[in-house]
Amino acid sequence: MSRYNPFYFIGQAFKSLWRNNVMTIASILILASCLVVLGSFALLVADLNLNLDNLGLMNEIAIYLDPDLEEARVDEIYHQLREMDNVDSITYVSKTQGLEEMKQDYAEYSDLFVIAEGEENPLPDMFYITYEDVSRVTTLEYQLGEIEGISKIIFRLDLAMQIDTFKSGVSLIFIWFLVLLFVVSIFVIINTIKIAVHSRRNEINVMRYIGATRTFIITPFVLEGVIIGLAAGGIAYLAEWYIYTYIEQIVTEKIRMIEVYPFSELSMPVLLGFLLIGIVTGAIGSSISLHRNLNA
Amino acid sequence: MIELQNVKKIYPNKTVALGGVTLRIEDGEFVFVVGHSGAGKTTLMRLLLREEKPTSGKLLVNEFDLTKLPNHKVAHYRRQLGVVFQDFRLFPNKTVYENVAFAMHVVGTPAGKIRKRVPAILNTVGLGDKLKCYPGELSGGEQQRVALARALANNPKIIIADEPTGNIDPEMSLEIMNLLLKINRLGKTVIVVTHEKSLVDYYQQRVVTIEHGRVTEDKVGGMFE
Ligand SMILES: Nc1ncnc2c1ncn2[C@@H]1O[C@H](COP(=O)(O)OP(=O)(O)OP(=O)(O)O)[C@@H](O)[C@H]1O
Ligand SMILES: [Mg+2]
Repeated sequence: MSRYNPFYFIGQAFKSLWRNNVMTIASILILASCLVVLGSFALLVADLNLNLDNLGLMNEIAIYLDPDLEEARVDEIYHQLREMDNVDSITYVSKTQGLEEMKQDYAEYSDLFVIAEGEENPLPDMFYITYEDVSRVTTLEYQLGEIEGISKIIFRLDLAMQIDTFKSGVSLIFIWFLVLLFVVSIFVIINTIKIAVHSRRNEINVMRYIGATRTFIITPFVLEGVIIGLAAGGIAYLAEWYIYTYIEQIVTEKIRMIEVYPFSELSMPVLLGFLLIGIVTGAIGSSISLHRNLNA
Repeated sequence: MIELQNVKKIYPNKTVALGGVTLRIEDGEFVFVVGHSGAGKTTLMRLLLREEKPTSGKLLVNEFDLTKLPNHKVAHYRRQLGVVFQDFRLFPNKTVYENVAFAMHVVGTPAGKIRKRVPAILNTVGLGDKLKCYPGELSGGEQQRVALARALANNPKIIIADEPTGNIDPEMSLEIMNLLLKINRLGKTVIVVTHEKSLVDYYQQRVVTIEHGRVTEDKVGGMFE
């Protein structure tokens, strides 16, 4: 192998791609389309996740403490919470802080929250905790119930669960999409390489008589598949860039409720993903094709 | 040395192409293989090229046991052989020079050596002035000489030619045969399958006759029956 000039193989691959140019262009475009569909779906999922997470920290539990709890007890509760293994973060909001936050949140009505001299702040001291694992929330709920000094616990469990199911549903669809488009792409490559092999079968036969090794014969074809994959990846990236920025612009202008990632933040993973999928598809497709059409 | 012991070849469609051939060809011999159409001559060549495997029997070529040769060693084995076909099988979009050079490139010969050797071989076959021609611009005889040069390129020990003059004018045929004999005198084993009675009778070499898949006659200075 090492004695062969790699440029020979690359040159052969390009020659062959050129010879079957219609098929080459068709397969690059089909592969690129598959990648764009897949990429768009992946970006959609990413943005969806971002918005679901923004939808108010779904894995948050609000813990209302008894109004007249001593500071030492509050500290104790804090430590108890910290011991629990499903608890991710703990935020303490004192009644004064709570009031301040409300004033800010409802700035137009801030005078509603002004407390007269001698009047009691009606808000309780609170802990906001987030958990790591929804499936173990019932355990957490039980543990919280055991703690003395807590007056009320507010979960948004139903919603959290629903969002979780929704997310896994979306992921499942995504995986099916991935498999389906992968199969389509592989099929396209298999056929392209089959035609390339067919149009050179006499040449291949003579090469065999001359004593060419299998590696020598198949390398240009494998490269052909990889080049198609790379070209498709590159084109798909440019298309995705254009499409996403276009949509990003519309969304950020018209629907401010929804947040989307800027393309610049996603461009690297998209590019690398496309090229990688392109190369892998090209290599696998051409290998399968050669195995079927070049039995020696 | 080539040695066949009771070699049988039955194709998957049950055609018995060779029904037990025993034959020994020493290094440096020149052998004509003759016989009627369908006798099994091409099948014998295909076995030697390891394009097909014998159904039974023993087949040795130099240090290679072809009944046991694994697929991945076939390329290496074939480098011992130079093959010439009736229909030349040159690359039409490569020049004469490139056709011969390619054979050397395939086996990983360094470029410098290729540049030196190709013109020399083409001189041997009398085509030193046609290096830049494409096969389509050459006569049948000339194309076959290019094929011969290509067969010689990697300095094989054995040359196998299956009806090398089948597509060529009679005068040109003589030229090709003379070349094959010249190559034989350079020390190579040459096996020529042919239908041309006059040539066989003229050259007075060893003649192996095959009929219905068996060797029916094998004698030096033999005639075409
Ligand atoms: N691939 C094959 N599959 C099945 N049968 C075959 C195959 N190749 C050859 N045969 C049969 O085997 C027998 C011998 O064929 P072969 O080609 O060896 O003859 P040949 O002596 O070379 O004839 P010719 O002088 O016409 O070239 C014939 O009956 C032929 O039909
Ligand atoms: Mg024949």
